[in-house]
Amino acid sequence: MIEWSEQHRMIRDAVRRFVAAEVVPNVEALEHGDMPPYDIFRKMLSTFGMDAVAKTRFEHMLARDRAREAGEAQPDRESEGEAGDRSDSAAMQLIPIIELCRYCPGMVTAVGVSMGLTSAAILSKGTLEQKQRWGLDLMTLKKIGAWAITEAGSGSDAFGGMKSTARPTEDGGYLLNGSKTFITNGPYADIIVFICKLDEEGVAARDRKIVTFVLEKGMPGLTQSKPMRKMGLHSSPTGELFLQDVKVGPDRLLGGKEDSRARSGAKDTFSLERSGVAAMALGIVERCLELSVRYAKERVQFGRPIGEFQLIQDKLARMEVARMNIQNLVFRTIEAAGQGRRLSLAEASAMKLYSARVATEVALEAVQVYGGNGYMSEYPVEQLARDAKALQIYAGTDEIQISAIARDLMAR
Amino acid sequence: MKIIVCLKQVPHQDARLDIRSDGAWIQEEGIKFEINTYDTYALEEALRIKDAAEAEVVVVSIGPDRVTQALRTALGMGADRAIHVKDPEAEASDAIGLAKILAAIVKAESPDLVIMGMMSDDGNFAAIAPMLAGLTDMPHTTAAVKVERSNGTLRIDREIEGGAREVVELRSPCVIAVQTGINQVRYASLKGIMAAKKKPFDVKSIADLGLGGQVGAAAVKVRIEKISPPVKGERAEILEGSTQEIADRLVGKIKELGLL
Ligand SMILES: Cc1cc2nc3c(=O)[nH]c(=O)nc-3n(C[C@H](O)[C@H](O)[C@H](O)COP(=O)(O)OP(=O)(O)OC[C@H]3O[C@@H](n4cnc5c(N)ncnc54)[C@H](O)[C@@H]3O)c2cc1C
Repeated sequence: MIEWSEQHRMIRDAVRRFVAAEVVPNVEALEHGDMPPYDIFRKMLSTFGMDAVAKTRFEHMLARDRAREAGEAQPDRESEGEAGDRSDSAAMQLIPIIELCRYCPGMVTAVGVSMGLTSAAILSKGTLEQKQRWGLDLMTLKKIGAWAITEAGSGSDAFGGMKSTARPTEDGGYLLNGSKTFITNGPYADIIVFICKLDEEGVAARDRKIVTFVLEKGMPGLTQSKPMRKMGLHSSPTGELFLQDVKVGPDRLLGGKEDSRARSGAKDTFSLERSGVAAMALGIVERCLELSVRYAKERVQFGRPIGEFQLIQDKLARMEVARMNIQNLVFRTIEAAGQGRRLSLAEASAMKLYSARVATEVALEAVQVYGGNGYMSEYPVEQLARDAKALQIYAGTDEIQISAIARDLMAR
Repeated sequence: MKIIVCLKQVPHQDARLDIRSDGAWIQEEGIKFEINTYDTYALEEALRIKDAAEAEVVVVSIGPDRVTQALRTALGMGADRAIHVKDPEAEASDAIGLAKILAAIVKAESPDLVIMGMMSDDGNFAAIAPMLAGLTDMPHTTAAVKVERSNGTLRIDREIEGGAREVVELRSPCVIAVQTGINQVRYASLKGIMAAKKKPFDVKSIADLGLGGQVGAAAVKVRIEKISPPVKGERAEILEGSTQEIADRLVGKIKELGLL
């Protein structure tokens, strides 16, 4: 794949029209007002029939699981269907991300965590019963999801310093305690995937098993904070979660067993999250480039459009190179999906590292092209520059991506 | 019931317009195109009739390769079939030539209804719908803002001077040319876009339509000699006073210019 296909462009144009009509007029309210991002996205899902597509996908997934439980042989998900259909379906998920990120990366963050991360966590590791209970509501954004691993004392070293615990109770249930921070959708989440350590007698804290629970809003002992103030992504509500003796039954233990797969479950989730970031970066870079080129032609200093100065041309040319590179990474993701190949963690890390860095660089250079105007909130590059920075921090910091890539290289 | 929707692809409203070296049209290379705004309302009106009753919606467009995208978009929105007249001679035609091409298709298809935009965003001739109606001997109306159907008859509200409405009744088959803003144009759904790939898509030449020699450059009666960008004026007038006073004066000016 070296170019978007005609269908892809049609999808892009349709989504772009929706974004212009529904998102752009609300960016101010989303970023600086009290408008949560979910309703607009729900409207987008129903407008384009994406909810129906998700429902069909969900039903196929369940049917396959049921057949597997009944002992029938089932092809795995990746190798099913026509290659073209599989890559188109990947493109259909990525194009709206790209288009929305031109205006509102915050909305994509919030919705991506809910429909992507949280639902994937449950659908990949949950029992059939758990998938039925929460899966579809998350995939269609009927319910808002949050995925909670980070704590005040444990970020990059998510498992090492983790203090949240699950203590088994006599009746086969658990008592959950601890607090989580920087949790996307934390303030509004209906369904929370909560990752913690099994508190077993005689096992040292560092060696404890990782267990995951699915919680719901309003459970006694669970407090969801108000949105935290932050540098960017204002359309994405981020908050803290406090758990004090939250009592849960074994039905909420993800996967139904206390085994060590939870660690790898969390890692699969990282991989998914990381390839989505490239699409987000592409949206940011595309828009920054368009805006910068336009401004460079219009803004006159020393009697000439600033685009005639070589130092400005250098910035524009670098932005174009970045756009081409990130677009190629997105094409690669789509191609890989077409071939039923999942990107390895190291590969996804490399994509994420590059895209996030370059998006931040491009957005800051766009501010530079705009000069004083670029620093003013009235111009959109100011928001995009603040938003882009988050891509280097969440879903694993740049430094953590680098160590994942290096670890893979050294193991060869 | 069969409905034909004629649509044109025009330069995107955000496209940068430069004049071609011969001065007679704009530079079309490298710019984005979209479906003419008026025609999107025509298509939506047809799709609404289809939603309410059984109807086949056939979209027709004349133009080069790029027009495929406009037709596929229409199929993605819900049209059933597309006819693309692709022929350099067709593109070189004037309004009457284009109307003859459409008339040949309409005669071959014998639809119950033809809906089209009242004019195109780029050419602004507003000529083709009445010409098509004349050539096919069908009743027609322009500036339609509301279309209602009851067995074989169409009741149409037309927009006339000062926003007043005139109600006309047409017997099917007929040609309706619609105004913009008469409905809310739907988005193509993702499923619709994927399904569009598999819908029937005919490509026809002038010879296929039996119009050799009757349309195209040689038959042209109206030729565009020259187009020019509007001259930058220096007649800006700054209104001063309180917000209320400025607003009153602005409304006064607009009325004075007959724009309201
Ligand atoms: C907007 C936003 C949304 C978020 N959403 C969620 C969410 O939904 N759910 C969730 O669980 N978390 C979420 N997070 C948390 C995010 O995943 C963490 O912030 C991130 O993993 C970094 O952890 P930390 O903040 O504790 O930084 P630290 O881990 O303390 O890192 C501080 C610095 O040290 C560096 N560093 C750390 N370890 C190493 C090392 N071994 N080698 C080299 N350098 C190192 C880091 O790269 C960084 O530069 C979100 C964060 C943000 C900003």
